[in-house]
Amino acid sequence: MAEVTFLEALRQGIWEEMERDDRVFILGEDVGLYGGAFKVTEGFSKRFGESRVIDTPISEAAIVGAAAGAAHMGLRPVAEMQFIDFISCAYDMLTNYVATARYRAGLSTPMVVRGPCGGYVRGGPFHSQNPEAAFLHTPGLKIVYPATARDAKGLIKASIRDEDPVLYLEHKWLYRRIKEQLPEGEEILTPIGQARIAREGKHLSIISYGATLWKSLEAAEQLEKADGVSVEVLDLRTLLPMDDAAIVATVKKTNKVLIVHEDTRTGGIAGEIAARINEQAFEWLDGPIMRVTAHDVPIPYAPTLEDFVLPQTDDIVKAARWLAKY
Amino acid sequence: MARIDVLMPQMGESIAEGTLSKWLKKVGDPVKRDEPLFEISTDKVDAEIPAPSAGVLAEIKVQEGQTVPVQTVVGVMETEAGAVVPAPAKPEPPKAAAPAPAPPPPAPKPEPPAPRSEAPAARPSARPADGDGGVQTAEQRLRTKSTPLVRKIAAEHSVDISGIPGSGYAGRVTKQDILGYIDRVPTQQAPATRPQALGPIEHPAVEPWPGDRVAPWSKIRKITADHMVASKRVSAHVASFFEVDFTRVAQLRARAKQSYSDRGVSLTFLAFIAKACAETLRKHPVVNSAVSGDSTIYRADVNVGIAVALDWGLIVPVIKHADELSLMGMARAINDLGERARTKKLLPDDIQRGTFTITNPGGFGPFAGIPIINQPQVAILGVGAIEKRPKVVTAADGTDSIAIRTMGMLTMSYDHRVVDGADADKFLADVKKLLQEFPEGAV
Amino acid sequence: MALPATRPTAAVPAGVVLSPDQLLEIYYYLRLTRTLEERLVALYRQTKVIGGLFRSLGQEGESVASAYALERGRHKDVLSPLIRNLGSLLVMGAQPIEILRQYMAKADSPTHGRELNVHFNDLEKGYLGQISHLGDMIPVMAGIALSFKLRGEPRVGLVYIGDGGTSTGTFHEGLNLAAVQRLPLVVIGEYNHWAYSTPPEKQFAVKDLAEKAKGYGVPAVTVDGNDVFAVYEATRFAVDRARRGKGVHFIEVKTYRRKGHAEHDDQHYVPKTDLERWAKDNDPVDRYVQRLLTGEMVAEADLKEIDDRVRVEVDQATDACVNEPLPAPESALPGVYVDPPAADTLWFKVL
Repeated sequence: MAEVTFLEALRQGIWEEMERDDRVFILGEDVGLYGGAFKVTEGFSKRFGESRVIDTPISEAAIVGAAAGAAHMGLRPVAEMQFIDFISCAYDMLTNYVATARYRAGLSTPMVVRGPCGGYVRGGPFHSQNPEAAFLHTPGLKIVYPATARDAKGLIKASIRDEDPVLYLEHKWLYRRIKEQLPEGEEILTPIGQARIAREGKHLSIISYGATLWKSLEAAEQLEKADGVSVEVLDLRTLLPMDDAAIVATVKKTNKVLIVHEDTRTGGIAGEIAARINEQAFEWLDGPIMRVTAHDVPIPYAPTLEDFVLPQTDDIVKAARWLAKY
Repeated sequence: MARIDVLMPQMGESIAEGTLSKWLKKVGDPVKRDEPLFEISTDKVDAEIPAPSAGVLAEIKVQEGQTVPVQTVVGVMETEAGAVVPAPAKPEPPKAAAPAPAPPPPAPKPEPPAPRSEAPAARPSARPADGDGGVQTAEQRLRTKSTPLVRKIAAEHSVDISGIPGSGYAGRVTKQDILGYIDRVPTQQAPATRPQALGPIEHPAVEPWPGDRVAPWSKIRKITADHMVASKRVSAHVASFFEVDFTRVAQLRARAKQSYSDRGVSLTFLAFIAKACAETLRKHPVVNSAVSGDSTIYRADVNVGIAVALDWGLIVPVIKHADELSLMGMARAINDLGERARTKKLLPDDIQRGTFTITNPGGFGPFAGIPIINQPQVAILGVGAIEKRPKVVTAADGTDSIAIRTMGMLTMSYDHRVVDGADADKFLADVKKLLQEFPEGAV
Repeated sequence: MALPATRPTAAVPAGVVLSPDQLLEIYYYLRLTRTLEERLVALYRQTKVIGGLFRSLGQEGESVASAYALERGRHKDVLSPLIRNLGSLLVMGAQPIEILRQYMAKADSPTHGRELNVHFNDLEKGYLGQISHLGDMIPVMAGIALSFKLRGEPRVGLVYIGDGGTSTGTFHEGLNLAAVQRLPLVVIGEYNHWAYSTPPEKQFAVKDLAEKAKGYGVPAVTVDGNDVFAVYEATRFAVDRARRGKGVHFIEVKTYRRKGHAEHDDQHYVPKTDLERWAKDNDPVDRYVQRLLTGEMVAEADLKEIDDRVRVEVDQATDACVNEPLPAPESALPGVYVDPPAADTLWFKVL
């Protein structure tokens, strides 16, 4: 076992896949010589050569489009968006071209688009975004969003091996803050489409992912100690396709559910989750389905503003406490 | 003179800690504003960090080579009189906010979320629901209908929500409220004695196929299911079969039926059987016992439970001090308990502290069955269908012939941990004898 | 029109007529840019600057000189700076205290703490800060230039783009639109050799950015970006031309990014000798000073006086705002729309 950061686990995952499969290659800005803005691909160029770690111009649409073409021809591209906020420049390519390729044209497009997302780092509106909602309604695309170091590794490997295009969201605040013991010499693969119980509980379920998973776990600890409320926490890990069975199972178990994510309230995927719970587990609800989310504003830069706008552990504690008492 | 904290800076969004690699000044050295004060090393970069202000390095808190989280105080400076005193990096309590560039009025203080859109009715309001003055308010609705889950539990147990005190929001009945109520007023309850399980009982999941209907268990079903599994785990189940000639009992019953009926009592075979068992249990205490750890508890009383099958599940009301009852008393007790079971009027005491159980499926039941012991008892008697069958009878002079007799099979499952075969057989033999030679005077 | 290439020349190019006061004013802005950034670096290392710090060391010359060629004042020309055009912002009238407040996320910053560093604007004074998505300001500035054209105003727009930025889709679309519409827009392409860690040979297949611009049907020149006079003259020419209705002009300024992409980047991928060479032999401020003194255009004492004045100005601006508070949390909610005036406070905040 070795203690490994989220970022290191991610790096290991890509590295292992590149060693295992010659067809895997990386393209993006500053990924080769520099090793990536966050050093995810540090050392890759030296090990795998410049032809497999391509430094591209600042051209997100071209990066995604070129990845698609290469994928059609049997290669396995891993395209990096330097900050996921710039994926908007490739929105057309990713949604219109890549996601629809198999359905409309029988074209295999096994590619991964990955990039650092998320806030709590005083990055302002263009270095803090969580874009999953913009892509959730895009059939043909898969979306994964690990919270743990283990899943960072397991999901990047699974994504690279998946036959469908995968959007892989890695939270920049978690990069160096999460450290876990990971077994060495063992293949770590996390199945796409499968959620994970991060903490067992009886009275109330929190469904979350990404950085807010950790805040939810903190909140669960506090609620247990202070209120004797036993909170179950479900880490979605994959956002598309969503693990309905796991969501329904936890609702049936505790009968109360709080959905927590960093994205905005309006249009954030909590709405989708709530609708599914309503459809599949209505009779099991002993309280309304509630959400803790960001406010509906662009993410501001100043610490006091960002801390207010984004969900904090304290917000989750208050919300869960309210729901537990309902 | 003022003291200022010197902090470990954050050089990059994802950096959480830094190593203080070198102090460039000693304690007591004067320092100019922006003059390099110490060197740091992080994952991404090494850098010289300038002094926050002009002054003197007063204290070193973090030594060379130490790694600390960003924002840690690494040292303290004393500033010269008149120099600017920078505030600590943490924000001060915020003042009233300046308006946004296009100054709109400040955000109105939000109302307590109302029961519309996605906000919950966090504060009880007396607003009537949509338009019609005669329709329930949200709170009334909540109190009478509560939530989907509570409604489901109420339906399964045929409980009226409005009769239950509610401790939830707006006085609504919560899951805990209704389950607690059902526990205390067990009109539907399975045996009140909890199964003495060895370890947790889990019922493995099975995959439903398309078209299957998955019906989640009611509470009574769950209790029954757990109890049955636990009983089989705990007791060493063995069964003995005794065929009893009920011809005499049938005759006695036929003669006495009307007079019993006149007194409002239906006289059944079951009453005879229960009486025979109750008396015989006194003579065989081990069959009227319970197992506790390494001990046998010989019960003081003989309390015979009669299993009743209802539409919604099994229940076992108990006839207390059954050995003290006459046949009339026994029959009456059986009638009463059965009636109250069917109309959900049993009290908690009615289903507790049984010491022996009889299960009688009645005329449409099997020839014989092998019942599961009702914990924490050690024996249960199953009554097979009582019907006319050919039987060999030996006349006084020894000749055998075939006669038509009213026969029924009694099956007793017993716990071989404490009831040995001989105990069980002797008990059953006595019961059989008593039934076959039932005294006319006892009717 | 041929302009000097990359070697410094002694004489002031023909056509550049600047009074001593103006020469000193340019020097003031150069010195102010550099000194203010040095102060920002110190504040960054003291954790008072929140977020990243992006220096323009080595590029002050082209920023100041190009902006100085515009007509400045209320409702005159408008420019859109990038992250390394602090000099342009200062020339257009942004105040050091505003810059400091932006970098320190103060409640009274021009964006009230909502946006970082030089991402702010004052359309009346004539500057429009960028968003992080490179290339996006080209179509936007084309739109501003379009408004000048539609209203028949003799005003010009000026927008900066880096060598990396010319690879983006919006650069292409914006420049093309401006060109075909013959808008009064001057585009300064800053060839500073580095897009984060990506050198030009990984960014495009041309040698000069000017070649790209010509592909849009736009006249383009390449000038020595570290020669203040050359940049001023080229921009002045392009701006005057645009003001006369002749459409887009592209000026490539060859310069060098002497610091990392941001303060956290140690530039290990840049050969140390290149950095040293540019610092020693081709610093725009040093060259400008040398030209002024060699040509006896101003007195050395005047330059020194400006140095002192700038230091005091930066100190005073810092002292005035360094202890100001951060914005109040709830001030994050207003201003998403005109109507409704503020976003909802979410339910769990008022429990």
